[in-house]
Amino acid sequence: MRNTMKVAKWEIKRNLKNKSFVIGLFLTPILMVVFGFLGNLMGGDTPDNENAKIYVHDELNTFANLEAMVEQYKLPFELEKTNIQEADVEKKLKDAENTAYFFIDNRAFNEGTLPFYTSEDFPESISSQVQIFTEAVKLVQMQNLGLTEEQLAAVSTPITIQALSVDQLGKNSEQEQAMDQEQLMQRIVPGVFAGVILLSIIFTGMMIFQSASQEKKDKIAEIILSSVTPGELMQGKIVGYFVLGLVQVLVFFAFGIPFILWAMNDLPLFEYLFVPELLLFLLIAVLGYLLFAAIFVGIGATMSDISTAGNFQGLVIMIPFVSFFFIGPVASDPTSILAQVLSYVPFTSPVILLFRLVMLDQWSWVEISVSLAILIMSVWLFMKLAGKIFKVGILLYGKNATPGEIWKWMRA
Amino acid sequence: MDVLLSVEGLEKSFKDKKVLHNISFDVRKGEIMAILGPNGAGKSTTIRNIMGIMYPDEGKITFHGYNEIPRNKIGYLPEERGLYKNVKVMDILLYLADLKDYPQNKAKERALTYLKKFDLEGKEHVKMEELSKGMAQKVQFISSILHEPELLILDEPFSGLDPLSQELLKEEIRHLARNGAAILLSSHQMNVVEEMCDRLFMIQQGQKVIYGTLDDVKMKYANFKCTIRGKNNLEKLEQIPDVQRIESKEDSTVLYLHKDIAPAKWLKKLPDDMVINELVMDRISLHEIFIDVATNKNLLLANEQMGEGDEHA
Repeated sequence: MRNTMKVAKWEIKRNLKNKSFVIGLFLTPILMVVFGFLGNLMGGDTPDNENAKIYVHDELNTFANLEAMVEQYKLPFELEKTNIQEADVEKKLKDAENTAYFFIDNRAFNEGTLPFYTSEDFPESISSQVQIFTEAVKLVQMQNLGLTEEQLAAVSTPITIQALSVDQLGKNSEQEQAMDQEQLMQRIVPGVFAGVILLSIIFTGMMIFQSASQEKKDKIAEIILSSVTPGELMQGKIVGYFVLGLVQVLVFFAFGIPFILWAMNDLPLFEYLFVPELLLFLLIAVLGYLLFAAIFVGIGATMSDISTAGNFQGLVIMIPFVSFFFIGPVASDPTSILAQVLSYVPFTSPVILLFRLVMLDQWSWVEISVSLAILIMSVWLFMKLAGKIFKVGILLYGKNATPGEIWKWMRA
Repeated sequence: MDVLLSVEGLEKSFKDKKVLHNISFDVRKGEIMAILGPNGAGKSTTIRNIMGIMYPDEGKITFHGYNEIPRNKIGYLPEERGLYKNVKVMDILLYLADLKDYPQNKAKERALTYLKKFDLEGKEHVKMEELSKGMAQKVQFISSILHEPELLILDEPFSGLDPLSQELLKEEIRHLARNGAAILLSSHQMNVVEEMCDRLFMIQQGQKVIYGTLDDVKMKYANFKCTIRGKNNLEKLEQIPDVQRIESKEDSTVLYLHKDIAPAKWLKKLPDDMVINELVMDRISLHEIFIDVATNKNLLLANEQMGEGDEHA
């Protein structure tokens, strides 16, 4: 154990003294914050809905109703009366920004359509929002038909179908909905936190792979192994790169958290973060790391040079990223059979399980326990196998091991 | 001298091929013991088994006074060696000493002394990749002795070194032996072995060929030989007494002589009419024994055994 810690300490020190590692450590978070910041600035530059203006040529005397609707639904534009003729609209709109002309006349009753001319940059979202004005025009039409107030009220009240799922029954008050929202945030925030940790340590973990194959290439492995056992060397690497991954995470959050707090004012980030769920998420992240680290260190020891990696090794390196192919289908239905199966497969379970737990508001503890049990057993098994491969592979200088050889070492 | 390491009946196979057959030898405190043999004879495999990097199929390796491999007391310089490239010299030296549980401040002090001794003064903050091959070799050697090992295993320590550095290294190895360290040295350079070693173990195709002190081996195998330049009739040469074997090449003839001949007496027995442009009388060198073993001729050994009828331990 002492030797494991010595190796771990060495790997940490060696990398932290390495310029390219340190640059990489800061570059990713800085780039992300810079792009996030730029994105926010750019976001402010997009056509502003609030400045949108709609000129209404109203022949049916319904302008007051329209204004009332804008007020009631808080629609993001201003209305203004105009007497402009339809023939002149094209010319006017050519130079205008964020402007539209709306003509309300008898065509509504005769042809069933009303023209709505917009400038080039006019937001499409508003074009669809104005559909609501058909209600006001319909009202005029019904008034013209001579209906009584009562009839009018009955006819003009729209009927909508309200979907209520069983868990929403009995807690429709706004307060309860807010609590739902808060619970969601209490899963998303720690979930994202654990996800960032998992990804960071997996990426740093990939360096284990390089470290193991570099030791073969530099032919130092035998010197090191005259002082420590292969098991200690392997564990030292796994622990060392885990800590380096956490260093990366720290740097990431040192940049990321202030940025998030700045970009999303009032978000009580820490309240959402420090919840019991976080512990489970972190456990999944750590188990995921250990599994992938075992794979990386084992395969790294079979290769003398990363650039000559065979298909087999290349394929194995891709394993941790297989999960991301399934994010789409799992996101669309986190309770599907596919999602459940992927939570049981050790290679995909860390990412998929984490993702599903964030998505689902009701957790099946049986499923979580089985998934964790499989993951823990896999970590144990892969560590054993990696140890066997590492022991032989690390001393095999000058050539890459074939899958056949690796299979033989694992059975030894 | 106390025995520090005993290797008894070592056997090892890779796949179906047996690479070590019943290898047994001792290494004693204060001696330089050479393990010799052509490439692929099994030297490095034997060493790796001693180091616990590989495990023998059969046989026993004992470190006297220890229950298990005293890794911290062994210095090891493998044949295939290197150090981390993008790391400073002092950092790597301290790390390797730390792995041997050697106190860091003492290691640092000794590292500086040795760097100075090997003409590497001021290089402690230079990265390994910036050193020349010879300099890197010297740093590797320093790393193997920094922790004051009781047993030092050196596999081809002189390869890639210029004569000056070789001398420095030889002197340091001798110095360590004088101070009581047991040294197991594997080398192809027979002159070095002849110059430095107290005892030797020669291995060929995984089997022991010769084992004994350098003097014993020389007495046993290194008979006198007489090299004559000049054209002579083979029949005439065959009549010369005490000649075991004759090797003729153009104008030059080598007469391999029987063991206990007295050179002065024997010289008098040469026929008067022999053509002698040049005559050299010397002993068969370790180098020749090695070539003989390595090329599987075993002429010297066969002759020896035939002539003596004894078996050498």
